[in-house]
Amino acid sequence: MMKIAKPLLAALLWSLVSGVAVAAEESAPAAAEPPPPAPALGTEYTEKGADTCLMCHTEAWPYPIFPIFKSKHAQRADARTPFAKLQCEACHGPGAKHAGSGDKNTINSHKASSFLSPEERNKFCLDCHRGNSRTGWHASTHASNNLACTSCHKIHAERDPVLAKATQPDVCYGCHRDRRADFNKPSTHPVRFARMTCSECHSPHGSTTPAMLVKPSVNQTCFTCHAEKRGPFLWEHAPAAEDCTLCHTPHGSVYGALLKKNPPMLCQQCHTVSGHPAVARTPAGLPGGSAGASGFLLAGGCINCHSQMHGSNHPSGVKLMR
Amino acid sequence: MKTSNQLLLLSMLSALPAIAAAADSGTGQPDTSKWECKGCASEQGWSGSVDAGLGHVSDKSYKFGEYTGLNKQGGFFLGDGSVRFRGAGAYYWNINASDLGLDSRSLDAEGGRQGKYKLILKYDELPHTLSDSARTPFVGGASLTLPPGFPAATTGAMPLASTMQQVDLSTQRKRLAVGGSWIGASDWEYAVKFSHETKEGMKRTAGAFFANSSQLVEPVDYVTDQVDASASYTGRRLQAKLAYYGSRFGNSNDALRWQNPFAVPAAPGAFAGQLALPPDNQFHQFLASAGYQFSDRTRGSADIAWGRMTQNGGFLASTLNAGLAVPALPGSSLDGRVATLDANLKLTSAVTDRLRLNAIYTHNDRDNQTPQASYPSVSTDMFRGTARTNLPYSFTQDKLKLSADYRFTPLTKAAVGFDHDRRKRTFQEVNTTNEDTLWGRITTRAMDNVDMTLKLAHGERKGSAYQVVPGIQPPENPLLRKYSMANRDRDSAGLRIDIAATESINVGLGAESSRDDYSDSAIGLTSGRDLGLNADVTWIVTEQTSLHLFANRQEIKSTQRGSQTYSTPDWSGENKDRIDTIGIGVKHAAIKDKLDVGADYTVSRAHSDISVNTGASNPAFPNLSTSLDSLKLYANYRLKDNWSLLGGYWYERYDTRNWMLEGVTPGTIPNILAFGEQPPRYHVNVVRLAVRYRF
Repeated sequence: MMKIAKPLLAALLWSLVSGVAVAAEESAPAAAEPPPPAPALGTEYTEKGADTCLMCHTEAWPYPIFPIFKSKHAQRADARTPFAKLQCEACHGPGAKHAGSGDKNTINSHKASSFLSPEERNKFCLDCHRGNSRTGWHASTHASNNLACTSCHKIHAERDPVLAKATQPDVCYGCHRDRRADFNKPSTHPVRFARMTCSECHSPHGSTTPAMLVKPSVNQTCFTCHAEKRGPFLWEHAPAAEDCTLCHTPHGSVYGALLKKNPPMLCQQCHTVSGHPAVARTPAGLPGGSAGASGFLLAGGCINCHSQMHGSNHPSGVKLMR
Repeated sequence: MKTSNQLLLLSMLSALPAIAAAADSGTGQPDTSKWECKGCASEQGWSGSVDAGLGHVSDKSYKFGEYTGLNKQGGFFLGDGSVRFRGAGAYYWNINASDLGLDSRSLDAEGGRQGKYKLILKYDELPHTLSDSARTPFVGGASLTLPPGFPAATTGAMPLASTMQQVDLSTQRKRLAVGGSWIGASDWEYAVKFSHETKEGMKRTAGAFFANSSQLVEPVDYVTDQVDASASYTGRRLQAKLAYYGSRFGNSNDALRWQNPFAVPAAPGAFAGQLALPPDNQFHQFLASAGYQFSDRTRGSADIAWGRMTQNGGFLASTLNAGLAVPALPGSSLDGRVATLDANLKLTSAVTDRLRLNAIYTHNDRDNQTPQASYPSVSTDMFRGTARTNLPYSFTQDKLKLSADYRFTPLTKAAVGFDHDRRKRTFQEVNTTNEDTLWGRITTRAMDNVDMTLKLAHGERKGSAYQVVPGIQPPENPLLRKYSMANRDRDSAGLRIDIAATESINVGLGAESSRDDYSDSAIGLTSGRDLGLNADVTWIVTEQTSLHLFANRQEIKSTQRGSQTYSTPDWSGENKDRIDTIGIGVKHAAIKDKLDVGADYTVSRAHSDISVNTGASNPAFPNLSTSLDSLKLYANYRLKDNWSLLGGYWYERYDTRNWMLEGVTPGTIPNILAFGEQPPRYHVNVVRLAVRYRF
């Protein structure tokens, strides 16, 4: 059985204890006095459907409602859509109580401030969108972090920003703030220039890989654009065959080619055989240095000779030099 | 073990439909016959907007235009558009086009009859400019030759001044995709998509003759065809999908041949060499997935994918050196084949209103079935080497993740989890590694307007005996522990705070730290540390003005050790990267419904300190650094009802210091005929002016 680091254990205990404490604190007043009526969805639908809602939610409403009529959800000739069924109330729930009182605690606003939990709000979406990429949503990282569908999707927009190439990354940066910095690094995939989206590699509704990748493994994901590195080659470079991210960092690097380090030190983490790979490459190998400009250090470093680091199919390519 | 895993998965998959319970209880539906939706502003016919205009780039820079096509100085055409059609009977088209005047143009069209069928057509181009300072004496495409004056003993003796020519390295991708989907009967949907991508251009490679080498221009002429086909079923309780994915890669160049620029009297006949370029290959994969809602509280899903990678490109000759007698190869091609199996099973259950349990099992297998054989070897077309047997690496990963989420109150939730990750490798130093990770997370609304999440994790990875791999010659230092297989402790912590400071100001703060300790590694990577701090402010200043600020710091450190004497460690190396990025964005509706303006300014500074300590007094490496300043201004002025004027200005300054390239000319390194590329630096101004017509 594994040994648990003391700080972690202490922190977890603190988490649990503080959680219980908060729970006790929050539940204490409830025991002392009768609680106010809990916010709850109504059970009755409106009289006229959307026409009832649009009496208040006009085009002047601060949150733009009307672009939804340009979206697929509003296509009434498609029997699957909300507007072919219960219109606004298909997603927002029965609205008679809300229409009567205007009380926002009687309708599913789908906002983060809603009285409904993300899981409860998501049920409205998953009722229709439960197949294909959403099949595994229930166990996805995003679900377990309490994301609602509307945390990312703007249902009333004519073109949902998270589905458009130019605007998707900004939606993701809302939580993944470090990624915005990554894509400003010197070597990166072209997300900063709106030529690539997060969802070309990641499947935000959940997937079988740790980083929610679109394919079942890291390398299968990379090969969708870099198929030339798939092989299998006669002489494989084991880490390249196993996992591209052992050497590369896909979101951005200060080194070239999205590498985690520059050669030769990158390569010397694993290559130590007697002779040139074992030699410490110091600044003496810089131009004008005491050892003279070194091909082991400058230009491509190790790659000056071992250029076939992704694998070689040359019969004499065992050293990845052919 | 592998078979039992597969059987377990298959039996679980096949059991899903059998457990199908009674139909869901329906809820009462209202009478919607009077729901006329009179106010629903649905539009018919064509609508949208089209932009046309001109832009100008002030300076040439491959780095600025790396992925956009704005790498050349001069004017360019601006063409963008977003067009939609809505017809009676749910017929529709959505067509979006962007950057039609650039090498990064794209067109995306989707249409059909909503609810019945959908057609898609996509076309996009993506340039990747790699260098505009490379120089080479070689001429030719897949067969590089040298002008008179070569070979010579060293680069210093080569006639470089009179023979070097500049060559711009870049590739261009062009991808066309067509597809469609049909809604079938009984909740079935069928989809197919085919894409054809070409990638052409030139990139950097290198070819060596023992210790002498040349950087070379490699021709790129690839074609990748990909097919996705699927049939999916979406029932109330059961969702299932059967799919096929196929990918075929083709390269019109199987080899890059080059003339040896170095005179090597010790190896007569080593006049030319050839590199094997990426061979044609294929990948075919069948996938099945299913999700099943056992009850309102319990759901399961499973995926399984069988794949096969094949590669059977003809072998090149062992050497171009006619003076070397080389035994015959064991075959004319590899018959390379890898079977992949990826499977996944997930179960979640809300045991009570407060407690949810989750279990995920994942199996990934790359079974390399390529036949092994002994290959006669020639070292860089110069000398006969000993015959070597290929090592077809296989990898198997089994991962089990168990976790529990507990809701103390609606505003306070905690989760704890345990992950077990077992990996098996063939032909490598460690047969099996086992990693156990314990993690916990608590999310709470600490105050009315403050949400906090704290996550902590501790993982320990242990491997079976570290062994010498037979067939790898010469052997690695026995004290080396490769970091992908070494024993490792990993601790990570993350804190995230979201503050709704006022109704119009939101502040996000985050800190993440991760520490890797390879305490059993005497040689190799010994430690790693990553620290990230970030802050984000969104401020709706007025109804017309919004502001966005962000700041990010990342520090990445690692240490490694080596042995120059092939014994105990006698040198150490340290990498320290620090990256700071800050930015501000403003949007302002200067004149309501008439003039919108905005600005984005980003500053990024990266520094890397690399030190190598051998015990002797070495000077320090110069800093590696990059600085980027990017300013974008834009304005949209409405001229008349349907006409707008769009203006934009983009300034970027980029400066980088990189001792790997700086001052390294083609003749600087005696035994490396380098391109002499210099690190990119630029100041670029781009102006754009376009007219938008809305209809």
